[in-house]
Amino acid sequence: MEIVVFTKRVPVTQEEELRILGDGQSVNLSKLPFRMNDWDNYAVEEAVKIVEKGGGGVTGIAIGDKEADEVLRRAIAMGAKDGILLETEAAPHDPFARAMLAYNFLKKENISFDAIFTGVQAEDDQFAAFGGILAALLKAPFAAQVIGTDTVEKDHLVVRRELEGGLQERVRVSLPCVLSIQSGINEPRYVSIMGVRKASKVERKVLKAAAYAEDAKSLIEVTQWVYPPKKEGAAMITGDVGEVCGKLLGILKEKGVYQ
Amino acid sequence: MNSERVIACMQCGKCTGSCPEAGKTPFNIRMIIRKKQFQRAVEEALPWYCTSCSTCTIRCPRDVKPSEVIIDIRSVLIEDGRIPVTIQKALENTFVQKNPWGKPRSKRAEWIGKLDFEVPHISETKEKRLLFACCIQAYDPRCMVIPVNVARLLHSTGVEFGVLGEEEACCGNEIRRMGEVGLFEELREENSANFAEYGVKEIITLSPHCMNTFRKEYGDLGIRILHYSEKVKELLEGGSLKPERRYDKKVVYHDPCFLGKQNAIFDEPRVLLAKAIGSDLLEFTRMRENSLCCEGGGGRMFFDVEATYQRNSEVRVKEALDMGAEIIATSCPFCVMNLEDPATEKGLSVKEVSEILMEVI
Amino acid sequence: MSDGLSDGYVLVVAEVRRGLFEERNLDTIGLGKFMQKPVCLLLPEKVSGVDHTTIGKVIKAETEEGNFQNPLTMVSILGKVFESYGRPEYVLFTHSSSGAECAAYAAGSFALPLITDVNGWDRDTGTFFKSYYSDKVFAQCKAAAQPSILTVRSGSFREQVTREASEAAVESIGAFAATEGRAFVEYVEEAGGAVDITKADFLLSVGRGIGSKDEIPRFEELAQAMRAVLSCSRPVVDKLWLPKERQVGTSGKTVKPKVYLAMAISGAFQHIAGMKDADCIIAVNKDPEAPIFQYAHFGIVGDVNKMRDKLLELAKNA
Repeated sequence: MEIVVFTKRVPVTQEEELRILGDGQSVNLSKLPFRMNDWDNYAVEEAVKIVEKGGGGVTGIAIGDKEADEVLRRAIAMGAKDGILLETEAAPHDPFARAMLAYNFLKKENISFDAIFTGVQAEDDQFAAFGGILAALLKAPFAAQVIGTDTVEKDHLVVRRELEGGLQERVRVSLPCVLSIQSGINEPRYVSIMGVRKASKVERKVLKAAAYAEDAKSLIEVTQWVYPPKKEGAAMITGDVGEVCGKLLGILKEKGVYQ
Repeated sequence: MNSERVIACMQCGKCTGSCPEAGKTPFNIRMIIRKKQFQRAVEEALPWYCTSCSTCTIRCPRDVKPSEVIIDIRSVLIEDGRIPVTIQKALENTFVQKNPWGKPRSKRAEWIGKLDFEVPHISETKEKRLLFACCIQAYDPRCMVIPVNVARLLHSTGVEFGVLGEEEACCGNEIRRMGEVGLFEELREENSANFAEYGVKEIITLSPHCMNTFRKEYGDLGIRILHYSEKVKELLEGGSLKPERRYDKKVVYHDPCFLGKQNAIFDEPRVLLAKAIGSDLLEFTRMRENSLCCEGGGGRMFFDVEATYQRNSEVRVKEALDMGAEIIATSCPFCVMNLEDPATEKGLSVKEVSEILMEVI
Repeated sequence: MSDGLSDGYVLVVAEVRRGLFEERNLDTIGLGKFMQKPVCLLLPEKVSGVDHTTIGKVIKAETEEGNFQNPLTMVSILGKVFESYGRPEYVLFTHSSSGAECAAYAAGSFALPLITDVNGWDRDTGTFFKSYYSDKVFAQCKAAAQPSILTVRSGSFREQVTREASEAAVESIGAFAATEGRAFVEYVEEAGGAVDITKADFLLSVGRGIGSKDEIPRFEELAQAMRAVLSCSRPVVDKLWLPKERQVGTSGKTVKPKVYLAMAISGAFQHIAGMKDADCIIAVNKDPEAPIFQYAHFGIVGDVNKMRDKLLELAKNA
């Protein structure tokens, strides 16, 4: 099976305080460390596992600046056979524009594939849309939030989709298809530094994204960035045992975990 | 590769006899060396039991260096990507944020905010004396008192020192012991480059683990590397630090493996404690070179073994109780973290040496 | 074109699971109401639990939910709706597994603007609030054209649902066959057996401070009564009071539940690392200085076991 995996380099923002610049015009990402989008780890791992079992190859693709090569090296260290960077200083915010760019690239360069994997969403924008839009543009069947690949055949896959509350849905998808892969589908292998160094020796093609940007226009725009409403420290709940428990149950009801 | 040394092993069993994991866990270092002699596979879960106390390596009559063999076995598992998930997270965190907890690098110098004086960047100092905070102590609320205390002690005696702040990266001691050779090399390169760039002449470490790797695994830095207890001992003996009170509790001292048996620093913390406490310092039977490993090193902080058994930390606490101690004093943040839970349960306190010093200065 | 929709309408695509109308649909309906537009609800066959007084019209696709929520079929269904009723101003989906899936595929098929995980709307600018970086900042997004497609965050517009005097009429737009490219096979329940605390929405977590192993059964009872999953900190596992699979922390599991109720857990660093991203952290501890209060959203200083017993009493009598 030939699988193409789209991977994204994202900033690590857990526990960081983000600053909005210029009166709401942008978010300051300058001092943040970056790494491969967590969901993409699972996507690459799943693709590599399928190919290790049944033959074929995995290609990693990233849309971003030169630094995005990092995620391609990681994909190769995990088992992808090569990588392609569609280089652009500023990848569009709008997932539609990015999907259009990817679609143009795949068509223009005649990239053949049995399946395209993406992560369910990116840690930065959390759109969860790139894979679905790309699938529609390709007129390929799509399944999102795949939590298990049960059967892999020459012309179709049977996969399980993660729904809410512990329920899953089993669907049959014809090939070629697009899947967005959910975290927890597998345990991504550890990629050692030496592994990444070895991966650096494998060729990663660098192409200019602008060559595929025709009619890849954004349909949405960000007019402003704002902070969420401020949260104070722990709100202390006081009273006697009965009162406190009553208030606690009230909070649980509000959060939707207790009826 | 250290594994070639296994040929020298005569299976005397001194290693297993000294191992803190032997007997109560499935980990048998002598057997692992035997398997390596015959190039047999070692069960994947086993190498992760090792705490890197290095007692086996210190005592081996044939210089097989079993603790290094464990590191080699781990490094193969790492290259294969088949390692426990929690170890994986610790390594990935260290790669991204330069500390195994994955705390933001940008917050590494926040502990300095707890001081009521400024601490300059090392580049702004004359004497180029670097205080190396260490990952645990820079981020863990419980251990953060240690760099704060030591900074205060040094400041009060007018000893000039600076810090790397956010440029400080994990020393890599535990990283190397977990087998991630490539990551260790990157950390070493980054820290060494910073030491060189700022012309560092002396490094005062707060963790014996940092001291160990700087002294032994960073090559010839041309820098004087000290554990803070060595520095403070100098200051006490020189008269610039004068204890004004007595610490009136029964204190027993626990030798950390990386300070004691691996780097022969037994006396300095004892001298500090002797000056601070009113009564005699109590000692464990298993003390100094024979100290009982707290099981915090070698990646054990990030990995829970399958076996259920009485932890050495609980044994240590019982020993302390039996001799009537009220405080277990130690000079390593790993020991502090590992001893504290079982100690608190039994009504004992665990104090790092600097905490006791701060009470009497 | 059918009447009542010439002023521009909002099409709410229902999320239906095993015949039940999901509660999340109230947020999509709510947003439509908030925008003061006629709300049309698109449903599959065999749905119960729909309050017909909350919407203006119901459009029924004569196909089962499994096929209805197949994005390939959804595109055909939407095409038929646009044909029969004209294009709406907005097509709203719930921000859920199926909602986001269909929304993206529809956006690509019809080349329409898509904004997902919307949790606010600014009437003056007509922009929608969308979370970035796990809610650390929000982007105000504007769609370049209409209709635009939105997925709506659960809980964000529920209060906007109003009831009309009359019940909505139901109109059918015909049947839809299963598609070639993708077919619904069946629902699968996650296997029982070993507990996976990482999947729980509500964790009741206990620490060393509960005192002894004997206290555990009552906590198990409480967890059951509150439909929570029991988890714990490392010392509890070390003492063999609970099995390792329940451990939250650096050397255990990392969890992100909706609610993390930490009882008698001091908040040691290694534990916090495993649960700090929970949506709502409630800490109960007898020590007012316990570090966990620095990370919790709500805090209670008190005797944990007494609180447990009172909660059990209240939960059982509810």
